[in-house]
Amino acid sequence: MSSREGFVPPSATNLGNAASGIQSVKNYGCKYICAQCAATFTLSPKEPVRCKECGHRVLYKARTKRMVQFEAR
Amino acid sequence: MPKLGSNIIGIESDRVTNTHSNDFPAYSKDIGEAWDLEAFKKKFQLNISYITERTANFDLIGLDTSIANAFRRIMISEVPSVAIEFVYMFNNTSVIQDEVLAHRLGLVPLKVDPDLLSWVDPNAEEKEKFTDENTIVLSLNVSCTRNPNAVKGDNRPENLYKNSNVYAKDLKFEPQGRQVETFKDHPVVPCDPNILLAKLRPGQEISLRAHCVLGIGADHAKFSPVATASYRLLPLIDIKEPITGKDALEFQDCFPSGVIGINDKGEAYVKDARKDTVSREVLRHEKFNGKVKLGRIRDHFIFNVESTGAMLPEEIFFKSVRVLKNKADYLRNCPIGNVE
Amino acid sequence: MSEKEQEKDNVASVEEDEKKQEDTENKDEDAGMEDDNLDYEKIKMLPGSSEDGTIAAFQIIDEDHTLGNALRYMIMKNPEVEFCGYSIPHPSENKMNIRIQTYGEQTAVDALHKGLDDLSKLCSFIEDTFMEKVNAKDYTTEEP
Repeated sequence: MSSREGFVPPSATNLGNAASGIQSVKNYGCKYICAQCAATFTLSPKEPVRCKECGHRVLYKARTKRMVQFEAR
Repeated sequence: MPKLGSNIIGIESDRVTNTHSNDFPAYSKDIGEAWDLEAFKKKFQLNISYITERTANFDLIGLDTSIANAFRRIMISEVPSVAIEFVYMFNNTSVIQDEVLAHRLGLVPLKVDPDLLSWVDPNAEEKEKFTDENTIVLSLNVSCTRNPNAVKGDNRPENLYKNSNVYAKDLKFEPQGRQVETFKDHPVVPCDPNILLAKLRPGQEISLRAHCVLGIGADHAKFSPVATASYRLLPLIDIKEPITGKDALEFQDCFPSGVIGINDKGEAYVKDARKDTVSREVLRHEKFNGKVKLGRIRDHFIFNVESTGAMLPEEIFFKSVRVLKNKADYLRNCPIGNVE
Repeated sequence: MSEKEQEKDNVASVEEDEKKQEDTENKDEDAGMEDDNLDYEKIKMLPGSSEDGTIAAFQIIDEDHTLGNALRYMIMKNPEVEFCGYSIPHPSENKMNIRIQTYGEQTAVDALHKGLDDLSKLCSFIEDTFMEKVNAKDYTTEEP
């Protein structure tokens, strides 16, 4: 199991995909939440950092959807 | 009323005297008697002053400090109770951090009879560790929204938003397996429903599951079944010479109200020493020098037990006695090896 | 208490002890002849005891002042015991040491066992008394 999030090490299956020209990870965008209007949207790496609804420039990154375990101590 | 003697701790302005137990055969032939259960049974007294839902107040008279202190220590740290131990966060977009929220959740006292759960076996396989016999599952799912029916001009968050405050009562019990039956009549709820856990604003959300297990206070304070469990020794005020007239009123003012009374002759007498806080104020006044002696009775313990609400206070004391007995019995049956 | 009575008492307690031991042995047999479930790690004798067994120190695992002080008191109440003291050598190790010296009529192990038995009986009595008082219900249920 890779410790780096998002990095997919090449394996037999996705190497095969690469050879046949299929993109295994299609969406490079990241989910953001506008600090002003709370709208959620995705931005790809080259897009300007702005809310797509209201144009506000302060954005939050959406929290991971994975469950996280804590000890109540 | 007992006069100052062997089982009375003297309290002077700058010191305490006669503080140690000396009722041992090896100490002195006169006062040191061998242990005799029958003699103890005659001497021992237990008086209950009051027991409410959350507090108990009772006197144990005629036993040694070491035993009374063992009960107190066990009530605080060794009587088991149930608390949240693991928190599984699905979403938490509130301003309170995950680990802080988890810690706060752990400290919420839960109304669960600890006898209904068994201990989690720390050596069991991870998959078989938590079962319906040893774990209780609670869930917390709240998200804050704007209140469409908000009253105009009222800017309090409770009016403007829905679910702006997350309370302990929002924790919902999810019975697992046989728990549907065993917890039918008394579902798991927090003892105090209005403990504030977090504050939210529109768009923020908390979604989590919590696993509750048995534990003891020695491991973590959240497992302690008591808010406080303490004892004090019964105070003793010994008036050596009559105090009358104006002095009597001044004498009365040296103690909390209700401790000293004044009779028809204008003479001060001890009305209720139990109410005294032993502040020693009276010893600061030159005029009462030698007229009064303060003390505490060494084998008269006034216990005060405050439950967090999971168990009845009398049950907690009862269990503490059991725990001490089990400790002695267990050790009695252990073979004695040699340290290598 | 006269010496004779004292002796009788000791004999009685020894007999009781033997009975108890038998009981536990029987229980183990009932459990199905497997390895005994006894805890060999709980208590150990520390080096430096006298040959006749009248002086000994024990190390008890997972106990603290709660049992240490209560047990020390019960052992010191035994007239055969010359000295009894306990200590917790280091606060971050869950160990409790207890040392017993007797005058010679009883071994240190016997004194320890008598202390534990006395403590157990004391607890039973307090438990019963408390139960009785709670069930009698002659107390207020409101805080004054």
